[in-house]
Amino acid sequence: MHDAGPGRMARRKLRAKTRAKLVDYADGEPSAFASMLGGLIEANVHGSEAKQRDFDSLAARVGIWVTDIDEGVTLDFKKGSLVVHNGLQPKRSITIRAEADTVMNLSNLKIGLFGMPVYYDEVGRGVALKLLRGRLKIDGLVGNLATLNTVTRIFSVQ
Amino acid sequence: MAVKFASEEWARQFKDEVNRSSVYKAAAKGWKWPVGLVVEAEPDKNFPESVGIVMDLFDGEARDIKVGPVSEAQKCDFVITAPYTRWKQVATKELDATKGILQGKLKMKGDLPTIVRYTKASQEMTECTTRVPVVWPDAN
Repeated sequence: MHDAGPGRMARRKLRAKTRAKLVDYADGEPSAFASMLGGLIEANVHGSEAKQRDFDSLAARVGIWVTDIDEGVTLDFKKGSLVVHNGLQPKRSITIRAEADTVMNLSNLKIGLFGMPVYYDEVGRGVALKLLRGRLKIDGLVGNLATLNTVTRIFSVQ
Repeated sequence: MAVKFASEEWARQFKDEVNRSSVYKAAAKGWKWPVGLVVEAEPDKNFPESVGIVMDLFDGEARDIKVGPVSEAQKCDFVITAPYTRWKQVATKELDATKGILQGKLKMKGDLPTIVRYTKASQEMTECTTRVPVVWPDAN
């Protein structure tokens, strides 16, 4: 007969059924874009152990500015948690500036060998072309390539 | 011939447009969830009652598109809600749907990674709405 009391259970790990909250919003009223990115990252991290590892290891402030709607967010990754700010905040390590379509396409980049984003398929070529044509700008790329790749992996829904 | 927005005839023509699109067929491969659109009433625009549109979309095909009560549309796995004027802006290419969603002009409910994975399909779906000639209720 099982004892339903709260006593110790030998060598049995309990798995929390509720998901830990990973994302917080700095603003009382997060913008639609902030809510969407925060929600997307939370769902991605909860859905993949590899993304969870990336999320747990990442400490960086990443800005994303959507040029054709004049809105942006700052994602403050803090090794296992994320605070999403409306607008661009100071002390960012990377800032990505692109049109809405391109920002969505960044989330559709496939991840290939060694965790590198794939730039040779249709989506990847489109992103690379935008970069070459200056319609996708990444400030702070030099010295932060590994961070950019980690962020891309966390973003990717593929 | 132009049809009344959100009428049965409009739904039929919309469905035909979706099924004519090879771009949609390829981009929506693997999609298997119904999508609900909620068009909120704007009585001052001669659109007095909210309407629900239920789209039975499966693997690159529109199996059915029906206009009905809002409650039916809200039961779908994915729901996009906006007032009548916003939908009109989308259907007349005044507002890009992706931008509208990022700006919160169109409100979206559903699993975000799945929606993002099918961005191209949803963009082509929007293109299909623009190809249906429409008589708008607030047109003079």
